[in-house]
Amino acid sequence: MSTLALPAGLDRNALLKRLLQLAVPLGATAAALVIGLLLIAISGRSVADAIEAFMDGAFGSAFAIGASINRAVALALVGLGFILAFRANLTNVGGEGQIAMGGIAATAMALHGGVASLPLGPAVLLPMLAGCVAGAAWGGAAGYLKVRFGTNEVISTLLLGFIALLLVYWSVQSENLLRQPRTSSSTLPESLPIPEAAQLPALTPFDESPLHIGLAICVVAAIFTAILLSRSTYGLKLRAVGLNELAARRAGMPCNLLLISALAMAGAFGGLAGAIMIQGEQYYLKAGFSSGYGFDGLVVGLLSRGSAIGVLAGALFFGFLRSGGISMEIMAQVPAALTLVIQGLIVIAVAGSVILLEKLETR
Amino acid sequence: MDENLAVFIASTLRLAMPLILAAAGELVSERAGVLNLSLEGMMLTAAFFGALGSWATGSPVLGILCAVLASFVVSVVQAVLSVHWRANQLVVGIGFNILALGATTLLYRIIFGGLSREEIPGLAKLAIPGVSDLPFIGPALLQQSVLVYFGLACVVLIWWMLKSTAFGLSIRAVGDDPRAADKAGIPVARIRFQAVLIAGVMAGLAGSFLSVADINTFTENMTNGAGYLAIAAVIFGGWTVWRTLGACLLFGAATALQFQLPAIGIEMPTALLLMLPYLLALLAVAGVVGRRDPPTALTLPFIRGK
Repeated sequence: MSTLALPAGLDRNALLKRLLQLAVPLGATAAALVIGLLLIAISGRSVADAIEAFMDGAFGSAFAIGASINRAVALALVGLGFILAFRANLTNVGGEGQIAMGGIAATAMALHGGVASLPLGPAVLLPMLAGCVAGAAWGGAAGYLKVRFGTNEVISTLLLGFIALLLVYWSVQSENLLRQPRTSSSTLPESLPIPEAAQLPALTPFDESPLHIGLAICVVAAIFTAILLSRSTYGLKLRAVGLNELAARRAGMPCNLLLISALAMAGAFGGLAGAIMIQGEQYYLKAGFSSGYGFDGLVVGLLSRGSAIGVLAGALFFGFLRSGGISMEIMAQVPAALTLVIQGLIVIAVAGSVILLEKLETR
Repeated sequence: MDENLAVFIASTLRLAMPLILAAAGELVSERAGVLNLSLEGMMLTAAFFGALGSWATGSPVLGILCAVLASFVVSVVQAVLSVHWRANQLVVGIGFNILALGATTLLYRIIFGGLSREEIPGLAKLAIPGVSDLPFIGPALLQQSVLVYFGLACVVLIWWMLKSTAFGLSIRAVGDDPRAADKAGIPVARIRFQAVLIAGVMAGLAGSFLSVADINTFTENMTNGAGYLAIAAVIFGGWTVWRTLGACLLFGAATALQFQLPAIGIEMPTALLLMLPYLLALLAVAGVVGRRDPPTALTLPFIRGK
């Protein structure tokens, strides 16, 4: 009578397989973390101090948890966009550039769109919308190049990404664009801070937590993505185009539209992430503000193997890892470069363990 | 003006050289179907180990050997993961770039300490006897580091290898149609593996050029996107050797112009010059300027019978 009740459609073997599928990336991550701890020990720092600093920075206070989750929000949005496009067999490598375009558009709208005098809702939403549109244009451009000229989207999104990063640089270098007016020789090449009205409201009533409504937006985006991919005809069509474009075309599907819209949506999510990074935490635009979130988001998307929940889990993990790493540097004098090493090892180990998963699936 | 032009040409060649070396190797790998985003990380690793080797042994040549060896090791791991274990090439590449940036920064601080700018023994410039003193041509072209001449020789060798050898034919075959190549008895995985190693060795030379032959020191993240630029050059070059060489020179010229234009009084946003290579590459893959298609199987892992 005490047998475990299993959800319908899942027998024991399938459950075991699921667990193993989860165990492989977790094992790879654990291995990379152990190597990281060994490196800390070798470099002569106290491992216990480092772990304590890491935990403190990642989970130690309401502030730490809020900051980590805010980081995860940006990663998750890029990752969600990635799995959307990936459903149509499109690899979006341009997350970094889509964040950049979203950041530029959101900053421009917040500073020059006259939102400062608007009521709270529109003042926050308009810059975010601008970010989405700019990101969608950047992603959609790659889709257009693909259907019009057959350009490989890996290459076009990568190149568009670098162009976007330089556009940020340009925007904050030129006073005709977004650079703050030069009042002295020490005026930094940054935009003015965005008006308070355009900053994201806090999610919790506690003053010490930086957690903002980006989390709520992200959860809605994840539910939207999950439903779109697994419960809508649109998701089914994306899969059909991804599996066999010719067959999908013969079946009368609007393939061009599907491909462009998939990349545009991926771009819109990236642009939204950029807008949220500016409006939620950074408050002004500066060169390199996207600081690798686009590439990390791609990794999160790919490792999730197409699941929205997987994206959220991976994004949280990388978000906490980034926060903990920063704290290790400040409190335990462990160089931030070491966090990069651990992160790189995790990415390589998890990507490399895919073959184990494939073996599991074919068994 | 003449003197300016000579300086401009010389600095174009100097700035293009790491791109030429890295792009030549990456071209081989991409023709076989493997895109190494890790080029940036390989170059950075090589730049560091080149500097370390040269500093530790006092010999720049041994430094370059260290650099090539380090980059070779990275490429072996990249090849095992992406060719044999069929891991996603792009993700492995991104992982290596993060790892290389972290590891070289960390090791640099541990070994050289703080933010010192330790001068390392650099490779001598080779002034070709007799002709290097010629007016204009001499300072513009013929007073370069030995590695420049060696690198250009490698480019010719790679061009000949791809065009006229059985190995080159196999490389092109596994990149364009791995299934047909497999049926014709070409060992797809082995050819791709070797192609990635060639990219690794060339990226090693490219990285060591930066630290050992050019500025004689290592700085954190000193490649600063040169690896990605080399990938853009392969794309703009339409996956052919001579066009890629031309693309690298053009990109080098765009970078050199940044410093030259203000000197001759022309104001132009640096961002535009920096953006130019990526814009040109994008226009090239879109078919606006001289359309060329990538190898059909680029980034696609090969699984027999699937």
